[in-house]
Amino acid sequence: MRRVIAALAAILLLLPFFASPYITALLLLIFMYITLAESWNILSGYTGYVSFGHVAFFGIGAYTAALLITQKAFPWILASLLGGIVAVLFAGVIGFICLRLRGPYFAIALLGLNEAIKVIATAWESLTRGGYGISLPPVPDLRSIYYAMLLSATAVVLLTYRLASSKFGLRFLAIREDEIGAEGIGINTTRYKHAAFILSSFFPGVVGGVYAYYLSYIEPESVFSVSITVKMIVMSMFGGAGTVLGPVIGAASLALVSELFWAKFPYLHQVMFGALIVAVVLFIPGGVVALLQERNILPRSRRV
Amino acid sequence: MPVESAVTLLQVAIGGVLLGAVYALLACGLNLIFGVMRVINVAHGELMMLGSYTTFWLFFLLGINPLLSLLFSIPLMFLLGMGIQKFLVSRVVKAPELMSLLVTFGISMFILSLALYFWSADFRSVPYFTGSITLGSFAFSRPRVIAFGIAVVITLAVYIFLKKTKLGKAVRATSQSSEVAAICGVDVERIRLLTFGLGSALAAAAGSLLVVIYAVNPSTGQTFILKAFAIIVLGGMGSFLGAFIGALILGLAEAFTSFFFTAQLSEAVAYLLLILVLLFMPSGLLGERE
Repeated sequence: MRRVIAALAAILLLLPFFASPYITALLLLIFMYITLAESWNILSGYTGYVSFGHVAFFGIGAYTAALLITQKAFPWILASLLGGIVAVLFAGVIGFICLRLRGPYFAIALLGLNEAIKVIATAWESLTRGGYGISLPPVPDLRSIYYAMLLSATAVVLLTYRLASSKFGLRFLAIREDEIGAEGIGINTTRYKHAAFILSSFFPGVVGGVYAYYLSYIEPESVFSVSITVKMIVMSMFGGAGTVLGPVIGAASLALVSELFWAKFPYLHQVMFGALIVAVVLFIPGGVVALLQERNILPRSRRV
Repeated sequence: MPVESAVTLLQVAIGGVLLGAVYALLACGLNLIFGVMRVINVAHGELMMLGSYTTFWLFFLLGINPLLSLLFSIPLMFLLGMGIQKFLVSRVVKAPELMSLLVTFGISMFILSLALYFWSADFRSVPYFTGSITLGSFAFSRPRVIAFGIAVVITLAVYIFLKKTKLGKAVRATSQSSEVAAICGVDVERIRLLTFGLGSALAAAAGSLLVVIYAVNPSTGQTFILKAFAIIVLGGMGSFLGAFIGALILGLAEAFTSFFFTAQLSEAVAYLLLILVLLFMPSGLLGERE
């Protein structure tokens, strides 16, 4: 197992030096989606608090970084990290309000939150230039973006792995299974929900910043697009929400498939994703990982 | 306060109330489904949008009067709603409520993207009724008055159906407790099917009326599901009358926001209202306290 991981790491690290720019760009997008899906999973897969507005953190990161780069001449890496930090601060405040809500109330409140932020980002023209968007300096080197995305994806997967194998993460699962019961045995559920919310907001903020730099142009409709939330949910659910590997499998396979087959039909590809959410919930609620576990291909362990 | 500005404010308020009745139609449908099934139908906004497009195409291609097209859009969405319930939602009604939320979210994305693919993101409207009716120093926009009147009639009809008829009573009984209703001989599965159809039909009616007063595109459903949700939270989840009052309040709040600030900001009012109510008045105006 260790050898496989080491070999995979070596390949991914060296790849940009011999792969074509197209392959590099494809992989960096896959890493971005792994980061996003895994982040959604930390909150929604583990604590069961389904977020319909997670793209808000991505968009906030993107706008923070874009503004810091264009107006304060920050280096892009620092700007992206600050994007993550602003997303975390924001999650801290919003979590305080929204995490009091349970189940569907929480999900819809976050859906609304993202819409509200999109409205603000569009209306606050003196800061964000509204619908005109922000143009950033062109990217000199694709490789550095590739490594930034790879690093984010690795970090969030390791974080999830640590959570899954720790008592801390077990309490998340307790909240998902029975929140009142969890409270009854002395878990401070508010604290753990808050922790999950904050942990799940940092990396979307960071990759939002990197993505803004990579695209060289952002506007509210693109970085606060509900379609990005849809992708996070589909990828995570398809692979297996509440597992470490699930969102990785889901993001890698679906991002690849959508790039190869559906990229030419943007709306139809959304149609497929919508249908896929329904199909996964109805027919394979545990995702691919649960299927593999049933056939004893993957061990039945929380660490998977 | 000078007389003129008082007149203006009243004028703004009238505009808000007129629009509020259309919101009420939408919100009552969502609330009916929630009451009976404990399912929040995230695709409700998309069903409304399909209602709008039914009316638009019938008008655009065949020149059919938008009020007449209600006779098409309502049964169409009634059937679609029953289909969604029968083949998709019914499978997850008993599962944790997040499952039904995810299913209806998936349906919503499916319909939305399909609509964007076939009809593009262009805004459409049906400029059938134009001009305004003046009464003293007040002007009422004609399309809004017509939409208001029909919305009130339909909402009232459904209200009477729920209160007076046997079937309506069965719906309310199922909403109070599906188990007890089943014991008393109510066919709960059939009631759920009917309710989902009826709720969707109300969404369709809202959509058909909306396109007369408003420019609509496929993403309009997304904005409106949020409004509808804010309304039923404000009025009290499961309360039919509450939803009606909540809708009028939202209509007023939006009208005054766009009057005093900008129209853009009024889009965020529903959200602000939602958060405030959830924080300070979680059972809403007329909801049952848990």
